[in-house]
Amino acid sequence: MEQQGSVEDAVLSLTDVAFAYPGEGEVLHGVDFELGAGERVAIVGESGSGKSTLLHLAAGLEAADRGEVHLAGEALAGLDEAARTRLRRARVGIVFQSFHLIPTLTVLENVMLPLELATKAGAAERRERAARQLAAVGLADKEARYPEALSGGEQQRVAIARALVHEPALILADEPTGNLDSRTGETVFALLLEQVRATGCSLLLVTHSHELARRLDRVLTMRDGILQAVDSAEAASA
Amino acid sequence: MSGLVLRAWLRDWRRRPLQRLLTLVGVIIGVAVVLAVDLANQSAQRAFDRSMDEVAGAATHQVLGPASGFDEAFYRDLRMAGWRDTAPIVEGPARLPDGTTIYVLGVDPLAEGPFRGTASDIGDAPVQRLVTEPGTILPPASWFRDSGPAHEARVTLEAAGGTREVTVIDRAAEREAPDAEEDRIAGGSLWVTDMATAQVLLDRLGRLDRIDVRLAEAEVDALRDALPAELELVPVESRGQAARELAQAFRINLTAMSLLALLIAAFLIYNTQTFAVLRRREVIASLRLVGVGRRAIFGVVLLEALLVGVIGTLLGALLGIALAQVLVAQVAQTVTDHFFAVAVTGVTPRPLALAAVFLLGVGLSLAAAMAPAWEAARTAGPGGSGRGGLERRARSWAAWLALVSLVLLLAGSGLIVTGAGALVGGFVALFLLIAGFVLLLPWVLVWTLRGLAVLVRGVTLPRIAVRSLERSLSRSAPATSALTLALAAAIGVAVMVGSFRGSVEQWLGQALTSDLYVVPAAPASARAGARLPQDWTADLVARSGAVSVSTGSSQEVVSDHGLVDLYVVRPHADWLEYLPLLEAEAPREPLGHRLATEDAVLVTEPFAAHHGVEPGDRLSLAVPGGQRAFEVPGIYRDYGNPSGTVLMTQAAFARGGVPPDGVGSFGLRLPDGANAEQAVEQLEAWLAEQDHAALVTRPGDIEQESMAIFDRTFAITHLLRVITLVVAFIAILGALIALQMERAREFATLRSLGLLPGGVRALVVLQGGVLGAFAALSAIPLGLGMGWLLIEVINREAFGWGMDLRLSWAEVGETVLLGVGAALLASVIPAWRMARMRLVPALRETP
Ligand SMILES: Nc1ncnc2c1ncn2[C@@H]1O[C@H](COP(=O)(O)OP(=O)(O)OP(=O)(O)O)[C@@H](O)[C@H]1O
Ligand SMILES: [Mg+2]
Repeated sequence: MEQQGSVEDAVLSLTDVAFAYPGEGEVLHGVDFELGAGERVAIVGESGSGKSTLLHLAAGLEAADRGEVHLAGEALAGLDEAARTRLRRARVGIVFQSFHLIPTLTVLENVMLPLELATKAGAAERRERAARQLAAVGLADKEARYPEALSGGEQQRVAIARALVHEPALILADEPTGNLDSRTGETVFALLLEQVRATGCSLLLVTHSHELARRLDRVLTMRDGILQAVDSAEAASA
Repeated sequence: MSGLVLRAWLRDWRRRPLQRLLTLVGVIIGVAVVLAVDLANQSAQRAFDRSMDEVAGAATHQVLGPASGFDEAFYRDLRMAGWRDTAPIVEGPARLPDGTTIYVLGVDPLAEGPFRGTASDIGDAPVQRLVTEPGTILPPASWFRDSGPAHEARVTLEAAGGTREVTVIDRAAEREAPDAEEDRIAGGSLWVTDMATAQVLLDRLGRLDRIDVRLAEAEVDALRDALPAELELVPVESRGQAARELAQAFRINLTAMSLLALLIAAFLIYNTQTFAVLRRREVIASLRLVGVGRRAIFGVVLLEALLVGVIGTLLGALLGIALAQVLVAQVAQTVTDHFFAVAVTGVTPRPLALAAVFLLGVGLSLAAAMAPAWEAARTAGPGGSGRGGLERRARSWAAWLALVSLVLLLAGSGLIVTGAGALVGGFVALFLLIAGFVLLLPWVLVWTLRGLAVLVRGVTLPRIAVRSLERSLSRSAPATSALTLALAAAIGVAVMVGSFRGSVEQWLGQALTSDLYVVPAAPASARAGARLPQDWTADLVARSGAVSVSTGSSQEVVSDHGLVDLYVVRPHADWLEYLPLLEAEAPREPLGHRLATEDAVLVTEPFAAHHGVEPGDRLSLAVPGGQRAFEVPGIYRDYGNPSGTVLMTQAAFARGGVPPDGVGSFGLRLPDGANAEQAVEQLEAWLAEQDHAALVTRPGDIEQESMAIFDRTFAITHLLRVITLVVAFIAILGALIALQMERAREFATLRSLGLLPGGVRALVVLQGGVLGAFAALSAIPLGLGMGWLLIEVINREAFGWGMDLRLSWAEVGETVLLGVGAALLASVIPAWRMARMRLVPALRETP
């Protein structure tokens, strides 16, 4: 199942990546992983196995202790904090489990934020693109509200719109449905998948639900600090 | 169980040492400032009281004569007549070679016994040697300590009698003695010598300044009858009454400052303490969730607040005592300038001040921690009201506070308009207005921030900055209030001191109407009592080519308002044109005529205020020939003597009898275009040959000297201004750190969305700038209002000084820059911390 491809082709590639939180034991012991353009991959694994940590490394929010992380063809290790931030905002959209909307901005402004940070689009264009993206997640009528006045599902839809609005090459989603009930979760997940398909970007998704995971191109398991392909027995039992 | 609860609560100290330390620092600084100002204040009072006691001793009454003193033979007569409890005194200021002003007290050591035992430190000193060895003087014990065992045996003193050398009597025994509290307080500027020596030093040969007497109630009238006409028997308390009032006023101004410091300190402590609890709401919520009782939570919060309060108060008290040394030195200088007082260098806190400071440090810490803890513990789980709920409540509070503030502002204005309560009323009004204004601030801040948010609608980052300030009102409002208060105080004091300074300068320009002055060569503080021969006039005119000569002498005389300062002038012809008359019954021309030909005097503005004198009133004054009533046809402005002066022409003064020989100073008016340099040279050459030491000064020199004293007097207000600003700076620093910490998750989100570290820094600094600018702009109206109140109400009531309001926009602008600068500076640390924050832990934080 391993897809072959050069580091340059891959949107994201990790080579023998190890990581430990300061003063703690190693969490990742040597992760090798590649994500091709337009590919959609799910990661499952036990709680505390290091899935979120992997996403943070991929986003350049943390730096690997060993090994290499390439994002959109660039080695993160060679970049300073500012350069990593620039690369992240241009190429990556992140969806968090607990939404992380900015409470002091309206829904529309939240979605405009990546455009303002990452693109040179003028104010009118930013507004127009954000509004279009909001409409795409079905929240056109909630533009002027503040996040606190939205339900959890709605907040996550805003977060999805915000992650996608600047057309990144890669979406990183850490249990995007973890804080939602199963029905709402299903709706949000479907919406995320649909939007990812529509824009053609890659997706790396962490989830506890094997059922959701199976709907992606590939499923990997985080175990003992390394990433493994799901073996057939596990796939069958899930 | 309770051990774990305690641990859960206190572990924050290890996790966020900087923030928790700030909590402690808040208490320390708040307590230190309040205590230091109180100590300084108290030392001013003690210096003053002691100077009164030391000089007056145990006497009940004093026999006083004309300013030039009276014949010592009278003292002999008195003793011969059987008045045994009497002690003759010759006294006056002198100056040491290093410029220190001391006070020389010439006594009759044999008669002293009952009078000055404990108050001064001559009690056990070898006073007999003063009599047996001529030309000796007994410095205070502290002088020996300060100058060490190698002190000189002879000291040069500069006083009214010129420059003389005296022999120091060694007090070896006392030098070894432990630093007795009493002695340390007395500090030391009272130098005791015997009368004969003092008479030489102070130019009082054969004369006395006063006789101290101790009388039973029944004896008073008998002694009064025994006195000749030129002498007066005055109860001790009435002496220095005006000076006492002035000291009171000085203290009141200091108290105002200390109350302000208290207010700002209270803000600081409240802010840091509530933050310490609010910050850990999740801990409280989670503890409640697992079943920890409300009382247990309350207990740990209480324990922490108590610990912080007690430790902070103790450290703050130590710091305050250290800080007080600096302030006390300043105060001592002021008191010495104005009252020739002994310096009080060692001060111990009063129990009452300690109690107040304890209440502030510990009590306020507890109260500030209690309220949010109670709130947090009331809701039994996370979510609940949460921080958002708290801030919503803060916003609705702001509206209520605004209503309360309106009431306070109205009450304050009412007090001013009606003028009720005099000085105390003025202070109450001042504080009502300040409190009203400050309570209005949160509400204004909310609307200002909302307005700003609308203004920057299209620009996301500034909008985030502004809106998060509004949403964190419980942080931003108290901090801005503290800064506003400090800046307003700075502006208010600057306006007051600036107006005062300007008015004094202008007055000096008007009052000094001569081109040259000839004055006795004595320290400025001793000049009032020194005299020059009257018959110099012709020679002075001859040497200088002056077209007009004026003379002036000041003296203390007895009046129906107690002892008052009388200034007798023989003025230039056009003098009234320059005199800054405030109220007069007649135009200048007839007024001048009346002052010269009738029994009429002018009084200064402070005199009128202190004694309740109005134009048309009459004053009874002891002048040569006896007590006479003088009409007061006018009041003029004068800053020379804070207790007030009565101005009388020489013609009126001498009408009833022969005035004492000697004048205090000559004023020479040169013809237009005359060479002043040359006149000075010729005068100095002539003066060098005379018996009396005198020197020539020019108005510029006098102005300079006066302004120097003025500036020293107000140096302490500048110092206090700096201190309040530092406290406000710490308040705003604490608030900004708190604000940023609370928003850490938001900042982390922004960073994950691609905001650069520099962007985070800009955002934080922008917030600091907005708060600083808001505080600075609000401080302008408040500060100008305070300045106006200080001038028109407080100082008028306290000193009787009127002054023209002068606005220095440069100074106002400076203060504004200072405020914005302080806020920007305060945002540097949080900005730097936020930009370097580790994102992942911050992202994990629960909202
Ligand atoms: N800030 C931190 N400091 C120290 N150790 C941490 C920190 N954050 C996470 N860890 C540890 O790193 C390991 C991996 O954590 P991570 O959050 O990546 O797990 P996860 O697979 O996402 O778990 P879950 O499915 O529960 O979200 C855990 O054992 C955790 O204890
Ligand atoms: Mg996780």
